[in-house]
Amino acid sequence: MANILDNYALASPLRYKNNWLKLFIVTIGMIAGVSSTSPIVPLFIASSMSFATIYFGKTPLKLYSKIILTPASFVLLSAIIIAFFFGSGNELFSFSILGYELAINSGGFNMAILIMARTLGGMTCLFFLALTTPMIELFSVLKATRLPDYFIEISMMMYRYIFVFIDIAMSIKYAQTVRLGYRNFKTASKSFAMLASILFIRSWEQGEKTYLSMNSRCYDGKMTMFHIKRPVKLPEAILTVVYLGCLISISYLTRDYSIF
Amino acid sequence: MHIFEGFLPAPWWQLWFVFSIPVILFGMHKLNKLVDEKREIIPLLAVAGAFIFVISSLKLPSVTGSTSHPTGTGMAAILFGPAITAVLSSIVLLYQALFLAHGGLTTFGANVASMGIIGPVLAYAVYKAGMKANLNFYVVVFLAATIADWGTYIVTSIQLGLAFPAEPGGVVTSIKAFLGVFAITQVPLAIIEGALTALMFKYIIQVKSDVMVKLNVITEESVNKIKGLIT
Repeated sequence: MANILDNYALASPLRYKNNWLKLFIVTIGMIAGVSSTSPIVPLFIASSMSFATIYFGKTPLKLYSKIILTPASFVLLSAIIIAFFFGSGNELFSFSILGYELAINSGGFNMAILIMARTLGGMTCLFFLALTTPMIELFSVLKATRLPDYFIEISMMMYRYIFVFIDIAMSIKYAQTVRLGYRNFKTASKSFAMLASILFIRSWEQGEKTYLSMNSRCYDGKMTMFHIKRPVKLPEAILTVVYLGCLISISYLTRDYSIF
Repeated sequence: MHIFEGFLPAPWWQLWFVFSIPVILFGMHKLNKLVDEKREIIPLLAVAGAFIFVISSLKLPSVTGSTSHPTGTGMAAILFGPAITAVLSSIVLLYQALFLAHGGLTTFGANVASMGIIGPVLAYAVYKAGMKANLNFYVVVFLAATIADWGTYIVTSIQLGLAFPAEPGGVVTSIKAFLGVFAITQVPLAIIEGALTALMFKYIIQVKSDVMVKLNVITEESVNKIKGLIT
C-alpha cells in the first residue's frame, strides 16, 4: 500500500518529457501488444518498455521486479484455464481427475502463452506511464480533452485527498497494530471495520471543511492550473519513429509464429 | 476482481468500452445536475472517491493468508446511488491502474462494467429491496455488499468466458471453469467484505449518524430504532 507508483514518477527524469509523446508511445504499445497474434511482439514491447522505464526512467530495479508480479496470481490461474479449455490441435498433455479427462492441446497452450505475453507487454506499458508520468502532468492532458470541468475537478481533489487519507489510515493502522489489533482474524476484522468507519467520518468532515475554506476563497467550481509546455525534441521524435518502425516490422514478420 | 492489462483480446475490450462509456456519461449527466443544484457536493464527492480508493488499497483480513483487497463499491452504491458510483469508481479504477498497477487501460472498460456498474447496481437494488421489506439495516447492508462482490466476480468470469470460449462446450463451459476457479477466493472474500461493511456502518451510525441521514441512506426514525437496539 505504501508503494504508490506516483511517488516514483515524481522523481523520474522522464517526467520532464512531453506528456503526449509518452501517452502516444504507451497507447501504440498497448494496442500493438493486445492485437498481436504471436507472443514475440508483446515480449519485445515488454523488454523495451522495461528497459526504458529502468534505464531512462531511473526506476529502482527492486521495485520494478516486485510490481511486475502483481498480476501473477490472476494471470496464472486464468492462463491455466485457457490452456485446458481453449483451442484444438494435437494433444500435448493429459490426465484424469475424478473421472474427468483434462487435456492441454497445442491451440490452448499457444493461447495461454500468448495471453501471458500480452499481459506482460501491456503491464510494462502501463508501468512506463505510471512510473514516468506523475498524475499532475496527466491533469493537463485531461484538461485538453473535453471532459466536464467538475469531473476533472473531482479527480484532482481526489488525487490530493488520497495521500491525506493514506496518512490517516497508516497511522491508525500502526496504532492498532501496536495494540495487537491484528493479532488474529477476529481482532483484525474489528480493527479493519473501525479503521474504515473512522476514515469515512474523517474524510466526510474534511470534505465539509474543504468546501468552507474553498468557498471563502471564492471557489467557483473551477481551479485554474499552470502547465509547462514541453515541446518534443528531435532526438525523441526520431527514437519514437524508429521504435514504431521496429514494432510494426516485428509484428508483420512474426504474425504466423507460434510455439507448437 | 481486476482484469489485467492486455488480457482481453481484440473485439472484447472494445465492446466493454462500448458498454461502459454510455453509463459513465449518464452518471456524469446526473452528477452535472447535482453539482448545479448544490456546489458543495464537489469536495464531498472528491473525498468520497479518495475514501473508496484508500479502502480498496487496504488489505482485508483473511483466513487463508492470501492478500486481497476490498472493492468498496457496494458501500459506495449504498451511500451515493449507482449513477454517481459509476463515475467515482471509474476515476478510482484509473488511479488503481496508475498508482497500484491493478487493472489496466485497455481492460478499463471491462473493469468499469464489472466493478463500477453491475456490482453497484446489484448492491443498490438489494439495498432498496431489503429496506422496503423492512429487514434489519445491517443484514441489508451485509447482503448488498456481499452480492455486489459476487456480481462483480460473476461478471468478470462471464467477461473472461466470452473472450475465451472452451473448444468442446463453448462459452458456457469456460464461464463455469472461470467461476469455479475464482470461487475459491472470491466467495469467502465477498462474505468477509459484506460483514466488514455492515460493521463499518454500525460504527458510523454510532458516531455520526447525521451524515447517513443527510445522504438519505436511512431515515431518522430507523437510526433511533437502531440506537435503541444497541444501547
